[in-house]
Amino acid sequence: MPFVSNTLRPYLAAVRSTLTAVLCLENFSSQVVERHNKPEVEARSSPEIVLNPLTISRNENEKVLIEPSVNSIRISIKIKQADEIEGILCHKFTRFMMLRAENFIILRRKPINGYDISFLITNFHMEQMYKHKLVDFIIQFMEEVDKEISEMKLSLNARARIVAESYLSQLTQTCELIPGHKRNFSNFNFLNKSKVLSYRNFRISEQG
Amino acid sequence: MSYRSTDVDILDEDQLFQHELFTFAGGSELEPDVALKNVQAKGVDVRNFLTRGNTEKALTTAIENPPYGSNTTDAKDQNTKIVMEVLNSLKATDVSSIVKNLTLDQQDILMKYIYRGMASPELYNSAVLLNWHEKLTEVAGVGCIVRVTTDRRTV
Amino acid sequence: MSPTEIHQLNLGPITAHAFNKDRSQVAICPNNNEVHVYQKSGKGWNLIHALVEHDKLVTSIDWAPESNQLVTCSQDRNAYVWTFDSVTNKWKPTLVLLRINRAATFVRWSPNENKFAVASGARCIAICYFDEENDWWTSKHLKKPIRSTVLSLDWHPNNVLLAAGCADFKARVFSAFVKGVDQKPPPTPWGDKLPFNTICGEFSNDSSGWIHSVSFSPSGDALAFSGHDSQICIVYAGGESQNIIRTTSLPYLSLLWITEEKLIAAGHDCVPVLFEKQGQLWKFSKVIDVGKKKVVTEATAFNKFQGWDSKGIREGSKETELNTIHQNTITSIRPYQGSRNDISYISSSGIDGKLVVWDLK
Repeated sequence: MPFVSNTLRPYLAAVRSTLTAVLCLENFSSQVVERHNKPEVEARSSPEIVLNPLTISRNENEKVLIEPSVNSIRISIKIKQADEIEGILCHKFTRFMMLRAENFIILRRKPINGYDISFLITNFHMEQMYKHKLVDFIIQFMEEVDKEISEMKLSLNARARIVAESYLSQLTQTCELIPGHKRNFSNFNFLNKSKVLSYRNFRISEQG
Repeated sequence: MSYRSTDVDILDEDQLFQHELFTFAGGSELEPDVALKNVQAKGVDVRNFLTRGNTEKALTTAIENPPYGSNTTDAKDQNTKIVMEVLNSLKATDVSSIVKNLTLDQQDILMKYIYRGMASPELYNSAVLLNWHEKLTEVAGVGCIVRVTTDRRTV
Repeated sequence: MSPTEIHQLNLGPITAHAFNKDRSQVAICPNNNEVHVYQKSGKGWNLIHALVEHDKLVTSIDWAPESNQLVTCSQDRNAYVWTFDSVTNKWKPTLVLLRINRAATFVRWSPNENKFAVASGARCIAICYFDEENDWWTSKHLKKPIRSTVLSLDWHPNNVLLAAGCADFKARVFSAFVKGVDQKPPPTPWGDKLPFNTICGEFSNDSSGWIHSVSFSPSGDALAFSGHDSQICIVYAGGESQNIIRTTSLPYLSLLWITEEKLIAAGHDCVPVLFEKQGQLWKFSKVIDVGKKKVVTEATAFNKFQGWDSKGIREGSKETELNTIHQNTITSIRPYQGSRNDISYISSSGIDGKLVVWDLK
């Protein structure tokens, strides 16, 4: 199979060209309510000004849904989550961002069903920002979110390992100090000795 | 106070509704069974071309005359399967040359099928489709993608 | 083809622009509810008047060259006709009774300047004329069979026919003959007996995109329209076939015939583009903007990504600016100099706030 090795580049290229195609927005006053101007992809007030949605997928776990309309588009991203830990991290990370959606400007407060995060870009954003830089931003976001979640998972595992090491080393330590007796947990001096010992153990296990 | 629950907007005879968009945009409705029969016949032709090694003809046959319509879902699914079979069987190196030989209409229809295929990644191989997408965009440009979003005759 | 002048008149978008007859003044809307009139001084422009009467975004402006009247329309469902009072040195607005209940999107004076047409989101076009009896501008509506917002208009040189591009994927030619204001026009290839609201032609693209712009050729015998499906279509009156130019670029928002055989289009690609009729077919000819880096491309985003991949620039392109003169979508192009069938200069304005005058020779 010649394509399995690297689908990231064509995936991002496809998202980039599709975004360039759909980010052709213009100011469009509502046809249904006078003096109102709403993002039609959200309001969906008239069917002729909402366009066909497009999906770009890399595999079953990673895809992007783009819903265009005359004055706004919605981009929903499904982030790769290989296991449960990544799922929890992804959920927390996206929730963190979505709570601060105002500062993000183009972020939507709730993702679309079936996706992890959604952006809403309107013609007013296009008036203030360069289109090609906006597309660059979305592509960069897609790459970095994967990286961030991987990093968070690594550091989570590392921290878990340190905690487990230090906790369990206390047990072995105390067992050595008081041979034959029941383990006496009140002798624990968790903060000082154990930290140094556990760190040393961690370092040794790393090299080993 | 029942008048408050009356939706006056639907009584506005000028506005377009979702169900009439297809015919209003110039599409012609097909009977579902007729469409399905056509697609099945097409499938036989396509497989013949593939076994004989005539890959270009297989592709052009598969993508011409798509079963456009509001009720032809089965035919559309079947046609998509046929197109995906053809796309998967073509070699990656041949893609550029095949795409260059397509007419403008065929390029547009092919782009529609690429997006349709990517919408079901559990059924079809997205990696292959991404490669086709890249090569087709090089030739047909972003205008082709814009036409996929605007054309109400969906595959 | 190099541009002669570039003017940054606004930090935000310029929604609409219109020059006066001798091009010494220009009226623009700086993306709010005001209209600014600038006077040319040397190489730059000075703001001389600010016309504040509308409540919401002014969507379109037109300046009648002979009668020196401005007409503006806005998303607040109103249109005003402005006359210049040289005694007080001010522009005086007169409210027009449009009787529409949605936003107005586009306005154009007719060639004889006794009428103007206003396109609106109320799925109708208001043809306005001056009623001497009551001393006000009143209107008649073109309604059937429009099914969605009307996005753009163009008058035929005979002052009666009007082309309209609409968001229901159709470009139509209407008769806007107003009894009492118009004389009966001579027959045209579009039709003979033309009472008000007759449809002389209804055309659409096969990929159903909203019609952003319509334009009659200099003689009025041909109609060009551009749709959101990146296609430009030219139809000849009485002819059965349409010439469809299927482009590989982004949709065009504004069209202008410069001769009977040449057409300029501009839109989301940020450059004006020339299409020419060669023999019987219309073809893409060239891009008018040569760009700063002498690289004429139509898909700059694509090239950037290719550069990213081949050069491995992980930071993305360091260039924030596009290498075209307009940095964002061009929304409107208008003739600047030359007769109707031989335009030598055009002016364009866009979302980047620039007003550019292009030399076509």
